[in-house]
Amino acid sequence: MPPAAQPVLAGRAEDMALIERCRRGDLAAFEEIYKAHSGKLYSLACRMLGNPTEAEDLLQEIFLSAHRKLDGFRGESALGTWLYRLATNQCLDYLRSRAARSNQVTDTIDDDPALLDARSRGIADRTVAKMDLERAVAQLPEGARAAFVLHDVQGLEHKEVAEALGIAEGTSKSQVHKARLRLRALLSGSGT
Amino acid sequence: MYCNQYRDAIQELADGTLGPVRRAELQTHLDHCDACRALAADLRKIREAAATLDHPAPPAHVWMQVAGRLRQEGRVAAAPSQRRHYALLAIAAALLLSVGTSLWLLLPRRGEPSQTQTAGSAQPDGNATQSDTVQSITDDLKVAEQHYQSAIVKLEQAAKNNDGSIDPQTAAVLEKNLTVIDQAIAESRTALKTEPQSQPARDSLFDALRRKVTLLQDTIALMNEMRKGNSAGAAQIVEGGNKS
Repeated sequence: MPPAAQPVLAGRAEDMALIERCRRGDLAAFEEIYKAHSGKLYSLACRMLGNPTEAEDLLQEIFLSAHRKLDGFRGESALGTWLYRLATNQCLDYLRSRAARSNQVTDTIDDDPALLDARSRGIADRTVAKMDLERAVAQLPEGARAAFVLHDVQGLEHKEVAEALGIAEGTSKSQVHKARLRLRALLSGSGT
Repeated sequence: MYCNQYRDAIQELADGTLGPVRRAELQTHLDHCDACRALAADLRKIREAAATLDHPAPPAHVWMQVAGRLRQEGRVAAAPSQRRHYALLAIAAALLLSVGTSLWLLLPRRGEPSQTQTAGSAQPDGNATQSDTVQSITDDLKVAEQHYQSAIVKLEQAAKNNDGSIDPQTAAVLEKNLTVIDQAIAESRTALKTEPQSQPARDSLFDALRRKVTLLQDTIALMNEMRKGNSAGAAQIVEGGNKS
């Protein structure tokens, strides 16, 4: 067995032990899972929804849904990745339902030549302020935003992003790359 | 076109996954191309800035609500019933008081001009399309409202099963706060009847419904913690209530 695989398997075994305790109704075990993962999922929900109050409500629903679905968790992926998938699906469902309520049309990033043109106006010598970047991220279409937040903000590998979003690894790369180009265009006009 | 062939490599450079051979090849191009060099620098800046963005922690009350609902649904072992701890009543009162002081935010701002969605305002004659849009929004609202209402009914039933863990005085404060929320809900509904497309009225209604759900969830979580005699847990709920 490759040495790198050993900690992964040990981590999976720990996850499965915790899940087994949860299945027996042990709230303390589920609290351990909550403590380990709620920060990352809340951060994802805040950026996806753009509203901390809604993110709190959704985080609650994510963990309630996770508890109900624990019986179906077989450990094929890491618990964290499984939770990310659950969370991103809930965020995307929520955004779609919110868009439907307010009659908004969900956006996508197409291959806009202006975005893909390396000669387009750039950020130049300016630094990227966190607040400007947060504002620009909020303007990304939901699919690209999810991929960008998971990869560039949360630090997941493209393989993990692909698993979390249920897409191909190549699609994850493409979404993140397009998101960066869109952000570059947004930031170049933001006066940072 | 010449620059386009380096587009993926520039992104992979930002990803940190570009191999040494392609990296050297790209570097040769970057040394001679200002535009691609600027693009590579910008993508690196964005990547670096993204990695330093804050990761806010969720408020403590979220876990208390999750735990409370899991207990309610019977998915985890029920909390052991213990005798009431009077010291916790002060905490409960503090929570309800803090909620009460923020409730004025729910009251509709009288005299404010109403804003309506552009979809409807583009059709001043009230033709069939506008009528369809209004009907569609009204239907969506009804469905969303039904979800909230269903949750509220269940939560109200659970909150009414007060076995003495919340004393009558605190329960009265809770009742008063719920009345204010109910008033906000009723006023938003009235406004929506007059102007079904009013975004502020819609936001106000859903905000009030959400706050009612949260207050009821907090109350149930608090009852659970008080039954357990868990002052730390109750304090966490209060802290969450004060932040919201």
